[in-house]
Amino acid sequence: MSDCGCRKGNEQAENDKNGGNSYLPWPARIEAISEENSQIKTFVLAFSGDKRQQDYRYLPGQFLMVSVPHCGEAPISISSTPTRPGSVHLSVRRAGLLTNAMHGLAVGDTVGLRGPYGRPFPLETFRGKDLLFVAGGIGLAPLRSVINHALDSEHDGRIEILYGSRSPEDIAFKADIATWEATPKVSCRLTVDVASPGWEGEVGVVTRLLPQVDLDPKTSVALVCGPPLMIRFVMAELSRMGYSDERIITTMERHMKCGLGACGHCHMDDRLVCVDGPVFSLAELRGRDVVELRDKP
Amino acid sequence: MTNSINEIENSEVLLVAGSNTTEAHPQVARRIYDAVDRGAKLIVIDPRRTKLASRAHIHLDIRPGTDIALLNGMMRAILDDNLADDLFVEMRTENFYALRDMLYRLDLAEVAAVTGVDQRLWQQAARLYARARKSVICYCLGVTQHICGTNNVQAYANLAMLTGKVEKEHCGVDPLRGQNNVQGACDMGALPGVFPGYQPVSDPKARAKFEQAWGVRLPAKPGRTLLDMTHGGGNGPVRGMFIVGENPLLSDPTMDKVRETMENLDILVVADIFLSETAQLADVVLPAASFAEKTGTFTNSERRVQMVRAAIPPLAESRTDAEIVIALANRLGYSMHYQSTAEIMEEIALLTPIYGGIYHDRLEESWGLQWPCFDRAHPGTPFLHKYMFTRGKGHFVPADHQRPAESVDEDYPLLLMTGRIYHHYHTGTMTRKSAALNRECNEAVLEINPADARALAVRNGERVRLASRRGAIELKAGITERVAPGMLYTTFHFAEAPINRLTVADRDPGSQCPEYKVCAAKVEKLT
Amino acid sequence: METRYILKKDHLAPWLRRVAKSHRVVAPVKNRHGDTLYAEIDGLDKVELDLAGQPQASAKSFFLPQQEVLFTYRTGKGGYEFHEPATPAPATVYFGLRSCDLSAILYTDVVFMGRHKDPGYRRRREGAILISIACHQPHPNCFCHATKSGPFLEFGYDLQFTDLGTRFLVEAGRSRGETLISQWRPFFSEAAEEDVKLQYQLALEANGLFRRNVDVGCAVRKLAEGEVAEGIWRELADRCQDCGGCAYLCPTCTCFTIRDEKLGPEHGERLRCWDACTLEGFSRMAGGHNPVAREQHALKRRFQHKLRDDVHKHGRPSCVGCGRCVGICFGGVDIVGFIDRLSEEDLP
Repeated sequence: MSDCGCRKGNEQAENDKNGGNSYLPWPARIEAISEENSQIKTFVLAFSGDKRQQDYRYLPGQFLMVSVPHCGEAPISISSTPTRPGSVHLSVRRAGLLTNAMHGLAVGDTVGLRGPYGRPFPLETFRGKDLLFVAGGIGLAPLRSVINHALDSEHDGRIEILYGSRSPEDIAFKADIATWEATPKVSCRLTVDVASPGWEGEVGVVTRLLPQVDLDPKTSVALVCGPPLMIRFVMAELSRMGYSDERIITTMERHMKCGLGACGHCHMDDRLVCVDGPVFSLAELRGRDVVELRDKP
Repeated sequence: MTNSINEIENSEVLLVAGSNTTEAHPQVARRIYDAVDRGAKLIVIDPRRTKLASRAHIHLDIRPGTDIALLNGMMRAILDDNLADDLFVEMRTENFYALRDMLYRLDLAEVAAVTGVDQRLWQQAARLYARARKSVICYCLGVTQHICGTNNVQAYANLAMLTGKVEKEHCGVDPLRGQNNVQGACDMGALPGVFPGYQPVSDPKARAKFEQAWGVRLPAKPGRTLLDMTHGGGNGPVRGMFIVGENPLLSDPTMDKVRETMENLDILVVADIFLSETAQLADVVLPAASFAEKTGTFTNSERRVQMVRAAIPPLAESRTDAEIVIALANRLGYSMHYQSTAEIMEEIALLTPIYGGIYHDRLEESWGLQWPCFDRAHPGTPFLHKYMFTRGKGHFVPADHQRPAESVDEDYPLLLMTGRIYHHYHTGTMTRKSAALNRECNEAVLEINPADARALAVRNGERVRLASRRGAIELKAGITERVAPGMLYTTFHFAEAPINRLTVADRDPGSQCPEYKVCAAKVEKLT
Repeated sequence: METRYILKKDHLAPWLRRVAKSHRVVAPVKNRHGDTLYAEIDGLDKVELDLAGQPQASAKSFFLPQQEVLFTYRTGKGGYEFHEPATPAPATVYFGLRSCDLSAILYTDVVFMGRHKDPGYRRRREGAILISIACHQPHPNCFCHATKSGPFLEFGYDLQFTDLGTRFLVEAGRSRGETLISQWRPFFSEAAEEDVKLQYQLALEANGLFRRNVDVGCAVRKLAEGEVAEGIWRELADRCQDCGGCAYLCPTCTCFTIRDEKLGPEHGERLRCWDACTLEGFSRMAGGHNPVAREQHALKRRFQHKLRDDVHKHGRPSCVGCGRCVGICFGGVDIVGFIDRLSEEDLP
């Protein structure tokens, strides 16, 4: 950052931690866009300036504050893995003003990025364990980061992926799924809420896939992400299957404005999702007033 | 209002009709809550299950536009139980026998059928209201915005007079005003037939007084009503309009007709603080100053005249409404010169008996004065009609139920009501400029009952097409039990979903107020 | 023991006039409508200082402005650029802060200069000298004795003034305060023992003058133990009129929102504005899902944050007992009403 406190394409200094303006985003160029389904696009982003991109560090489970011109900022979880440097992936579902505007952007356009923020998945605790991923819809985005990280770092356990979508057309990350299915040690099971002609796979909510999993709850960790209702049902089912609260891990979505633990919007009982999360184990959520655990959300 | 707002807190029974008080008048709602906390009983007459209705001891969820039938039923119950205030009726009212005869002829089964309310419930409400020592009626646009609006109001007045619930503190009939200064505008003669202070233009003495003061000849005939102007009715088309701080394109019924009128004017001049939808059609737009940029008075619902003081000078080229009017008058050949708004207030005091004692210096250090306030020594009037009605004796006007202008039928099977929500004000010319308010609510929602939504296969949040015989709009469906089956509700705040494209232009013959509250509509799924 | 000084009242204006030569001075001023507000003093002789009345708003907005430009941006063909505005924060002396308002600043320091270093807040705060006035005439809604943030302070101030009638007792808490005295030492004399005794006496008397007896400890305990019935939250939510007034006026409510203000097709500014957790849109996410059920819990976050979470985090509640929310809340669901309700439950 230059002395004038401006951030333009080619400036390189890194002083976010101390003297800098923690609200100032860095420009990042859209290098590629892939359409995951009618509602989700994955944006491949690179910071303007090679050095910043090279030096950029993040961990699976963290998120970025994304700026789109005139639309303010929104938190988006990173769907790429730091084991594949050179770009950052954000998978974005159309939901509000900013995400809709982002869907209108093209390759070559610029967005602003701040972060990474938040507590990542506890990757170090996964070593030697089997990993069970349970995702619904856009919920696969943050888990994709962990899955690919595990594959790249030659994870020494088995990987089971359960993924629920609304319909066969809504299945996102198809290219990733194809790769995972072709990888030894990884098994991938899909289900849809509503089948369409030609669909021969499972129909029903993602919890229906859980009985097919033959991992030992004592030696595996379950990672869950999706809509609040899905999280609730899946976590309850995992508990029944014998997963301890410490071994059920989820990541939360909340309204956020700063990502820095100051604005207050992402409060979850006595916690702030932006700094205390977004990754939480069920043990950390128990006893708290959390919509994802409430009987009547 | 015949009462002061604070009196509501100490009433024993509150009858609230056609008012979503919590959202539209939060300051009044708070006093209603306080009264209920102190043990007061709350009766709400409203087709919708508003927040207030859900807290009511008795909620009379009438079909829209059936107030008269219900009130007749209630008054009959009062007669049957001998709960009328005979002395009051004898001493202070006239034409009681006409009312009594009408009530004795009333078919109670028909009342139940028309209103859709259980007979026992309205009888209970009538007893509650009549037996209490202090009962107050608050009503709002759900009562007035009907083709029988005047009779509706009269029916509530009949109820109050029959039980002697006027003339006293904590008793009265209180229309809740929608704007900070709509009362003041009416007081100042912004009505077709009166000079300031409700002095009729047809009264030669009043006319002579104003002619002498202003040095001009004044017409003896009332001017045109709003809808005569915006809908081109009455005596030939209007050729030019000067619109001050109003957005009739969105706020008047049957929008397409209003647009046609506006577009056919020789000249349209609009003074407003923002470029409203109406201003966008204008030949000349005069940028006006906001409340924070001018000094003068507002008069609120309880007839309280209060000072506002300019916090900042008018921004850029904008001018206060007074400056605009004065400059226009001078350019048009009428010499008008005032040193200050205080001097204008002196003229108001001179010519308007009910404002006779209201001067800026008296308002400076106080919370204002409630009119009537006849001279400098007068303390103002917290509640009206003490000892005597304005017109002498209170006149009972018996009325029969009148069907709304448009009824539902096979083609348009749903009944559409329009109203307001908490976060926005009128056509949103001001509130929709606020990011904070827009975050809370930024789009029109059509309230629809779950049963109707199911029949139409409409999901919550889905965009639907809403149509009447006059036009159609698209908006988001919100499924809620607040509206009964067969009914719909939405607001007129959103230019993107201008609900007055659908409403009827039929109006009350007395007040000329259009029937915004009822029209027949249908909902269609968007494909 | 710190040195205590005496400043004769005759010397207050001359001393402040000298301070004002090198500092911006903010103090409680009675305006022409009779309202007392903290305001920048432009010419000491033109304004009426009001050291007895409680200013209608706290000093929060001087550190966390109601609206602030975080940066401006440009977009279009040249990309998307962000420019930090040059906003100098002059060295400011805050004179006559009420004890509650000064305590509140100590709390907002924790929020904006703790783990998160907020650039704007820090710029304004670092150049600030805080001079409080001990309150020996609490206002009708005050309860700072119950939140231990007044009426007399023991720490946190650069200088604390106590009105002893014809003179002020002045205590220097930090070196910055000491500097303001030593720079113009002739105005000050050393306090005598009787002055200190008088101050002690006044402090004792002040504690007895509070009209409200607010059992903050009871509320803190009940919240910590999860003893607040669901019905109470619902009743509060029912009465909350959704205006946000409590949060805006509260000296320790620091939640904010950030949004873009488009100033043209290719430029605009990013603004930070006050926000209120009681509003529905505060937690509603894009797409409409809201993890907070406003109908039942509109005020839950507000009271839990102040009386439970901050106690847990910082060892004390973040309500400073200024009582302003009592005056502003027209739904009757201010923090005092809430605390009273919890303590009344225990009565037979």
